[in-house]
Amino acid sequence: MFRRLTQISAKQLARTQSTAATGAAKEKWDLYAGVLVERLPVVSKTLNPLERRFQDMLLNVEYENSLKSDHELKHERDLVQLEQIKQGKVQVDLDEGVAKQTAQDLKDAYIEELKKFEAAPRTTPDDAANKTSSTDRCLEDTLYLLVQQKLGQQQHLLLPQGQRQEGETMRQTAERVVREQCGNDLKVLFYGNAPVGFHKYKYPSNQRANSVGAKVFFFRASLRAGNVQAGTKDAPAAQYEWLPKEALSQKLKNAAYAESINKFLI
Amino acid sequence: MSLIGALSRLSLQSTALASRCFHTTTVLCAEPLKKKKKIDPQVIKQREDRKKKKIEKQIRRLEKNARQLKPVEELEVPLELIDDKAKRLRKLPQLNGAEQETRALLIKEWARFKHNEKVADFQIIDRLLQSQNKALDELRNESEELYQAAIEVDLQLLAVPLKGPVSTPPIKNYVSPDGDYNHQSMKWE
Repeated sequence: MFRRLTQISAKQLARTQSTAATGAAKEKWDLYAGVLVERLPVVSKTLNPLERRFQDMLLNVEYENSLKSDHELKHERDLVQLEQIKQGKVQVDLDEGVAKQTAQDLKDAYIEELKKFEAAPRTTPDDAANKTSSTDRCLEDTLYLLVQQKLGQQQHLLLPQGQRQEGETMRQTAERVVREQCGNDLKVLFYGNAPVGFHKYKYPSNQRANSVGAKVFFFRASLRAGNVQAGTKDAPAAQYEWLPKEALSQKLKNAAYAESINKFLI
Repeated sequence: MSLIGALSRLSLQSTALASRCFHTTTVLCAEPLKKKKKIDPQVIKQREDRKKKKIEKQIRRLEKNARQLKPVEELEVPLELIDDKAKRLRKLPQLNGAEQETRALLIKEWARFKHNEKVADFQIIDRLLQSQNKALDELRNESEELYQAAIEVDLQLLAVPLKGPVSTPPIKNYVSPDGDYNHQSMKWE
C-alpha cells in the first residue's frame, strides 16, 4: 500500500515536471521561410597547375598508344610521292597534279576554318564592371542572391525571407517569398520540400510581446531564368546582389547569421 | 375538297410502288440446308498433326535465332584496320628513365590530390546533412504537420533537365551551321 502511494506520487511529480518543461518550451516563435537562390556555374573551373600537368600527360599517353589515322597515312604517302617527283622517278601528270589536294592542304583549310570561329570569352563585361546585380558574371562560381530587407527599423542584406501565413506549408511560404520579393520574372527551381538550413534570432526585448523571436527555415533553389525586378510595385526589394561564397560571408554583417548560412553553402 | 386531297395522295403512293416493280422478302432468300460432309477422323488427325509440326518447326527456328545477337557495328573492328595495323603503328623512341620517373611521381601526386578532394567532398556532404537534419528537427519541434509536409517527396523533381558547366559560355543568338546528315542505321529483323 505504501509502495503504491510512493509510485503514484512519483508519477505525479514526473507529470508536473514535464508540464513545466513544455510550458517553458512553448514560448511563441514566429516561423519564417528563407530561400537560398543559387545561380549554378555556367563554365567549368579553370584547371589548377597540377590538373593541367596531369591532363598534358594523359594526352601524351593517349597519343603514344594511338594508331595513325587515315589522314596521317595520306600525308605520308604525299610526302613520299613528292620525294619521287623531285628525284624525277615519276612523271607529273599536269592535270592530275593541279586537281589533287594534299593532306597538308586539307589540314591548312581546316585550321583556317577553325580560326574564323571565335568562342565566347569566359569572363564577361559585368565581371570587369563588377556589377553585382547581374547574373552574367563569375561564370565559374556559384552565385547566391542577397536581397535588402527591412527587419525592425534597419535595412539588411539577407537571403530573401518572409513570415509564414496560416495554412501554408513552409515550402509554399518559400515560393511566395520569392514571388513577392523578387517579382514574377525570376524563375527558380526548388530542391525538394525539406528545409536545408535553420537560423533563429530573438527580437529586441521591447518587441517580445507577441513572440520571442523568429525561426528561419532555409530552402535551396536554383535560378532557371530571369532576374530580380528591383524597385517595382510587386517587388519591393530596393537592392539586391548576386555574390559568390567568399563575398557573401563578408557581406553579411551579423556573425551568427553568417555562420548559420555557411553551414549549408557548398 | 378533302376527298380530292386524299385521292391525289393515294395516286402518289401508287406511283412510288410502281417504280420499284417488285420486291423480295427474307423468306424468299432462304435456301435448304446443306448436308454436312462427313470427314474421316483420321484425316482430321493428320491435318492437326501437320499444323502442330509446322508450328513446332517455327518455334525451333525462333529459339535457334534467339541466341544470335544483333551485331553492333561499332564494336567490330573493320578488317582493313586489322590488315594494316603494322603500317599504322607509331614508331616512337622509348621513354627515357627520367621521363618515366616524372610520370610515376605525377600519378602519385594526382592520387593524393584526388583523395584530398574526395575527403573534402564527403565533409561538405556531412555538413549539409547535419544542417538539414537540424532544420527538420527544429521544424518538428514547432509543428508535426509542417514536418510531415516537409518530408514529402517532391514529384516535380522527377523530370528536371540540368545542363552541366561547359568550357566556354554559349554565344548569344548564335546559329549553328548545318552539317551533312546521312542516315545510316541498318534495320535488323
